[in-house]
Amino acid sequence: MFYKTALATSVMMLSAGLAQAEESYRIGITQNNVGVDSYQTTYESAFEEAAEKQGNVDIVVLDAGGDVARQIGQMQDLIQQNVDAIIIWPTNGQAVIPAIRQAHKAGIPVVVTNSKIAEAGMEYIASFSGPDNVQQGASSAEMMCEALDGEGQIVQIAGQPGYTTAMERSQGFEERLAEACPGIELVETQPADWNREKAQRVMENFLTKYDDIDGVYAGDDNMGVGALNAAKSADRADEIVFIGATNFAVGYEAIERGEYYGSIYQSPVDDAEAALQTALDVLSGEDVPKMNFFETPKITADNLAEFEKPVF
Amino acid sequence: MASVEQGKQAIMLSKKHKAGLLNFLSAQGILVFFLLCMFAFSLFSEQFLSQSNIMTVVRQASIIGIIAVGVTVVIIGGNLDLSVGSMLSFSTVLVVDLHDKIGPAGAIILMFVLTLLIGAVNGFLIGFMRLNSLIVTLAMLSAIQGLVLIYSGGQNVDIANSSDTWFAFFGRGYVLGIAVPVILFALLAIIVQVVMSYTSYGRRIFAVGGNPAAAVYSGIRKNWCVFSTYLISAFCVACAALVLGSRVMGSQNNVGQGYELLVLAGIILGGTSLLGGAGSIWKTVIGVLILGFIQNGLLLVGYPYYTQWLVTWVIIILAVWLDLANKRKRLFTTHS
Amino acid sequence: MINVKDFLKGSGVIQPIWVFVIVITVFFSFMSEYFLSVGNLTNILVQTSTIGLIALGMTYVMINGNIDLSVGAVLGLAASLSVGLQDYGITIAVIAALASGLVLGAINGLIVWKTGVNAFIVTLGAMIGVRGLIFIYTEEQSFYATNFAFSDFGTASIGPIPVLAIIFLICTLVMHLVLKKTGHGRNTFAVGGNPEAALDAGIRIGRHMMINFIIVGFFAALAGVLLATQMGAATPNLGRDYELWTITAVVLGGTKLTGGYGSITGTLGGVLAIGILRNGMNLMQVPAFYVLVILGAILISVLIIDQRLNVHASKGVSI
Repeated sequence: MFYKTALATSVMMLSAGLAQAEESYRIGITQNNVGVDSYQTTYESAFEEAAEKQGNVDIVVLDAGGDVARQIGQMQDLIQQNVDAIIIWPTNGQAVIPAIRQAHKAGIPVVVTNSKIAEAGMEYIASFSGPDNVQQGASSAEMMCEALDGEGQIVQIAGQPGYTTAMERSQGFEERLAEACPGIELVETQPADWNREKAQRVMENFLTKYDDIDGVYAGDDNMGVGALNAAKSADRADEIVFIGATNFAVGYEAIERGEYYGSIYQSPVDDAEAALQTALDVLSGEDVPKMNFFETPKITADNLAEFEKPVF
Repeated sequence: MASVEQGKQAIMLSKKHKAGLLNFLSAQGILVFFLLCMFAFSLFSEQFLSQSNIMTVVRQASIIGIIAVGVTVVIIGGNLDLSVGSMLSFSTVLVVDLHDKIGPAGAIILMFVLTLLIGAVNGFLIGFMRLNSLIVTLAMLSAIQGLVLIYSGGQNVDIANSSDTWFAFFGRGYVLGIAVPVILFALLAIIVQVVMSYTSYGRRIFAVGGNPAAAVYSGIRKNWCVFSTYLISAFCVACAALVLGSRVMGSQNNVGQGYELLVLAGIILGGTSLLGGAGSIWKTVIGVLILGFIQNGLLLVGYPYYTQWLVTWVIIILAVWLDLANKRKRLFTTHS
Repeated sequence: MINVKDFLKGSGVIQPIWVFVIVITVFFSFMSEYFLSVGNLTNILVQTSTIGLIALGMTYVMINGNIDLSVGAVLGLAASLSVGLQDYGITIAVIAALASGLVLGAINGLIVWKTGVNAFIVTLGAMIGVRGLIFIYTEEQSFYATNFAFSDFGTASIGPIPVLAIIFLICTLVMHLVLKKTGHGRNTFAVGGNPEAALDAGIRIGRHMMINFIIVGFFAALAGVLLATQMGAATPNLGRDYELWTITAVVLGGTKLTGGYGSITGTLGGVLAIGILRNGMNLMQVPAFYVLVILGAILISVLIIDQRLNVHASKGVSI
């Protein structure tokens, strides 16, 4: 019975939204793990700011703390509160699908933000908005190719095992590397859980184990800079090419100094604004494409000036 | 808790047999085990016993080691400290953030003061309020993590100019070719070991942890003793934060997450009993190094990271079991 | 009639934590219009059922004077098995998942019994190692149940009450009765209260403790399977930190870490207290960072109040 009411309300809201643009919306968002890194924190404040600017949007901001079960609980809470739309930053691309399906059944449109959900869930979401992590991995592979002239021996420092973003970037990188640069050999991959200190330790061990390392691919700049730290203290930074993803301020500075070859520019502000806009477009009944990737260009010393330094 | 009682009896028993080289060797079972591990890894990886690798491992282990020195004192005093992981995040974020704002000297002083303050809260609740240490430090683990996030607003903190600050000394410096973190670890370990073994303060901590009632009868101010162990633990965390912050020149809010368990694993491997009243810093140093070398050895040999977890499972239990078996001169317990 | 003194000391029928549960329930129903709706209350029950089921078994183990830190990892393994093995049929997958819990519980219990190593250490090792098993089995992948019947079970309800909540409440009732009315329940208190006396009284304490480890292993696995039905999926990181929240809930419910004392009704109160706090703070939109601090502060406050009420009770040595 509850579901029917929810459906009825949201349908009413939807038609009302079409009739008058000033209709106010209540949008709930459940984020992955705010505070685990600056990207997510900046995303959250950017999202709140964007909603404020809209004027007619009331938001419910929740954080799953990285725990899938808690995120599902929050989805249920949001369905319970009968919000007009739900934005979800999935803690896991597969485990959240039934909760998304539940929201879909309750007539609440769901926008997935930042990291994708598995194919099986696509029919239940209104839209996806975020970066293309597989493509990012592929771009990093291309940069690696370019930097090493297609020859060499490299290592990979990946994000936290079991998380979608980490897996997609690794996948994109490995596939593209094998295809574009068969001359480059990826000798070992170890995870560093998005943690700079851990990346530093992993890299120290790589440096002991391999006398010859030509390049390092890190799942984000935070870990990339950790690897750079390790190589610098071993006096081997000059012989190694560092390539990351999600350009952090420290990575930007390292590129500026010429210690770091390149990264992928990804702005949490763009990410947050795109998610909110997508949700609003859905609510106002516009025809929204299923996949909305925002631009995440390569950034190297050559085009550094075109980008503002990240705030995180 | 049958195991508890038996453990205590076993400890009493072992004190009676002290003489003899053989007894000495069997008492150092963990050391023998350590050497065997080193030997095994060296067969599979030629870099394993290289000087640079050994230095790397010891340097990496020193952060956990520094904290473990403090937690060992808490455990000898009969309590636990699970809050050290969050506390490490707190102190590291604090010192790195304040570095650019008020200069390295001020940052370090303020960080030590505030970390000791948290230690004092732990110590007050456990020493004076007599609350259960496991639950108090578990609650503090959550609360301190929250405080870190509120303080930083969830943002990573960085030291802008990492190449020219003397703060780099603590994590990246060398004295006579030895890394500063290692020197700090060694210094702390030696000082605390001396204090615990040769001063009346040390004896009081052992007494409070071993037999609290008797300690109180003999006039020991138990509350203060317990309180002080948490200050020592907090001081060690602050030292570790100094090393960590300087090594990374930045900090995430959850940088210390999970350290409490690594520290405990190291202490347990070394052979310090969780029951209090027994243990030594020397053992903890060995335990922490074993963890470090096993982690490094498996990585060099080329096993994926999770095999290291399985190995840790086996050796933690094995180490404590063999130690117990040795003390009771019997492999298995006798009750049904 | 309930004796007031007994009640405050927690030895009556109802534990002090229930007063707290009632207070926060009243508080949140004033703070949020959504809180007291049937839908939200059943949500709370479903959300707490995961920690709640584990806490049932944990209560037994803790009354025994032991502890189990491996429950989060066991939950993760069972969840992965229950989804990953569905190619062989849902029944087989679920049976295998539950069996994994029983086996791991038996291993923990056997080690504690035979080696005499402290349960804290044995299960700390298992907590690290079982997580390794999960990663070996899943190869870091999340599993997704292609059969929606599996996840529909997790969201199904009988009348207004979700199936998962019903399972949780039935298990609670059974575990309460076993603890109160059976020999095994009485032995659980006896072994925790005074192991030597229990041994003298002819209780086979090694075997007895092992059974309780098997029970907690089973409940951790059951919680894992039910959580997996809720998600229709399983992730290798599932269950991290759950041991901490479970122990917290059990202690909030008045069970003593030193053993010999505790109750299932108290544990139910502890579990609900945490669930209601989380849900209520979500509804009130308390920022996530503050939730951590508030939970920590409340836990310590409850501990202080509990201790003030039990000043005359014997003071045990902690761990």
